Amino acid sequence: MFKIDNLSFSYNTNEKELKNNVENINLKIKKGEVVLLCGESGCGKTTTTRCLNGLIPYFFNGQRTGEAYLNGKKISEMPIYKLAENIGSVFQDPKTQFFNVDTTSEIIFGCENLSMPENELKKRLKTVVDEFKLYNLLDKSIFKISGGEKQKIACASVNAVYPDAFILDEPSSNLDSESSWNLRDILQKWKADGKTVVIAEHKLFFLEDVLDRVIFFKNGKIESEWNIDEFKKINHRKLGLRQLNLNNLKVYHNDYYSKNQEFFELKNFTFKYDKSPILDIKHVQIPKNEIIAIIGKNGAGKSTFAHCLCGLERSCKGELILDNKVLKRKERLKKSYMVMQDVNHQLFAESVIDEVLLSMDDENEELAEDILKNLNLIHLRDVHPMALSGGEKQRVAIASAIASKKEILVFDEPTSGLDLKNMMDVSKNLIYLQKLGITSFIITHDYELILETCTHIIHFDNGLIIDNYKIDEEKLKKFFIK
Amino acid sequence: MMEELNTKLTNKSGFHMDPRTKIFILIILSFMVFNDAPLYISGILILIPFTSLFLSNHKKMATSYILLYLIATYLKIYVNPSLTGPSSMISASFTYTITRMLPVIIMGTYTVITTKVSEFVASMEEINVPKYIIIPLSVIFRYLPTIYEEIKSIRNAMRMRGIGLNFKTLKTPLKLVEFYMIPILISAVKTSDELSAASLTRGLSNPQRRTHLEIVNFSKTDAIFIIFAILGVVMYAYYFIGDILLV
Repeated sequence: MFKIDNLSFSYNTNEKELKNNVENINLKIKKGEVVLLCGESGCGKTTTTRCLNGLIPYFFNGQRTGEAYLNGKKISEMPIYKLAENIGSVFQDPKTQFFNVDTTSEIIFGCENLSMPENELKKRLKTVVDEFKLYNLLDKSIFKISGGEKQKIACASVNAVYPDAFILDEPSSNLDSESSWNLRDILQKWKADGKTVVIAEHKLFFLEDVLDRVIFFKNGKIESEWNIDEFKKINHRKLGLRQLNLNNLKVYHNDYYSKNQEFFELKNFTFKYDKSPILDIKHVQIPKNEIIAIIGKNGAGKSTFAHCLCGLERSCKGELILDNKVLKRKERLKKSYMVMQDVNHQLFAESVIDEVLLSMDDENEELAEDILKNLNLIHLRDVHPMALSGGEKQRVAIASAIASKKEILVFDEPTSGLDLKNMMDVSKNLIYLQKLGITSFIITHDYELILETCTHIIHFDNGLIIDNYKIDEEKLKKFFIK
Repeated sequence: MMEELNTKLTNKSGFHMDPRTKIFILIILSFMVFNDAPLYISGILILIPFTSLFLSNHKKMATSYILLYLIATYLKIYVNPSLTGPSSMISASFTYTITRMLPVIIMGTYTVITTKVSEFVASMEEINVPKYIIIPLSVIFRYLPTIYEEIKSIRNAMRMRGIGLNFKTLKTPLKLVEFYMIPILISAVKTSDELSAASLTRGLSNPQRRTHLEIVNFSKTDAIFIIFAILGVVMYAYYFIGDILLV
């Protein structure tokens, strides 16, 4: 089906040093195979998928040698709309891969582009809706459905063209665990239909039963290749990979971090949208100065809770009782801070040091540099925050929170789409914050991060806290592992 | 289930206007920004966005639009002349913004919230607008709701940092604009890049004519609205330049 012959590629960048993003890739993928491309961030797996679906050389410019073939024809010489008939591509961010705003038009968008007649369009829409069970998702705005549902629509819409091969680039980054399992079901269906599937991914846990073969990339080269049985036996951690079977993981911090445990209380956190309650907490006790995981399905009320906790929702009249002081919304706004999923939205200054100084009441450059040192950012002191990598941006946001003497930090999905190394960095930062006396709440779907870092769990469902417990492997497994 | 889907596909129930009609009316309404006409002249044009919104089940927005407009007109006619000093300045700028700009803004809002991207593309292709004009325009349609969400999230980030409407920031108001613009621009670049890549892999660049699930064509509704819009603009034009023509 696919053949890659001695391919090297480097993106055109302004930097003087010419480094190949992928180097001497040789790969054959048979029809009907399901192949995983894995490795650290920047190892070349995304670049390889782009060579296969024609975005290289059609969309991304750069220096290329070698060739990729689809059924014996050179991919670089086929027009990209011809490739669209044979290859369906699903991308990482469901928000930016939809051309339409409503789901129905999106499903049929690819077929319209290929000029299929109108009755064929109708027929295909019906078939796809039937196969993927999308009855409830038709004619909805893509802004009103969850990440998991968006990814389902994305899969359905590439499927509507009936391509022979699917190429997925980190499709599960923004998905909760249940949606990841649903994605596995879709992959299994494609496999059963005899389609070829190439998937580049960090999260591996949902792929165990689907894969045929695993290609491991390191620094732009193919380092190793295994069939699935061999892959199950190797030490994933050693290679910097996420866990394939979540059952192998153990809780790392079995006990609370702080010795003399204090608690704070939340009272009457309620929030309504269009008159229906989406958050309803009468009273709850939460340990202070711990790392607390907030888990639950998409739409369970986790983000709403985070917004209310940080004092961002005016109509939430809840109270937080901390050291016998009652904190109302405005005081909470001063004491808490949220590190958003899209960190770009919260960096404002022109350099990293300015960003930290901006948060201080009295600008103290020495103290600011101290904070940067501790977060390993001091070498980036004068760089513009927008020029940093994702992980660095997140650390700058954390630095500014420390500088403004926040006591409660909320992280919204801090590890979505991160490889093992970057996840461990996030975990290290969280533990550093704990030592500073800060209580962190982490909204997350990342089972590995929870086991590595957290000591307390709050489980949301339908706007209610259905469980509130010290970390417990068995309980967590029930929620995360299918 | 299958039957339900069938009816969903074929039955376009309720009020529906062709995207081309919407854009035509939008252009006509923008003439109103240039000058002021008495209510009996501009009335037809003002009622078009109201009727469209009201019939397409945005009754709340339609009613508040018409109320706001009437209040502004009342102020303009009966209150403004008797005011002096700064209060007259404020009142005048308020009333003139509302009476001249609001109808266009509301019509624009109506166009964006009720037009599907696919429908817009289909109707533009029908009148042979070239692809290189249609596609950027449809991306704008697609991007507008995203901007709204982004602004909300940036505002939240500012509130947590204590930036915003307070003394420290208001000393340098231009900074505030910068704080909003830079994250939005960054995400606009990122979104447009990823969106283009995704659409290319789905065959958007195919030179053959696209086909459409949604068939667009002019209906009676469109005819009625266009007639009223033309009638409105003729009356409007006659009111201002009629005298000149008669001489």
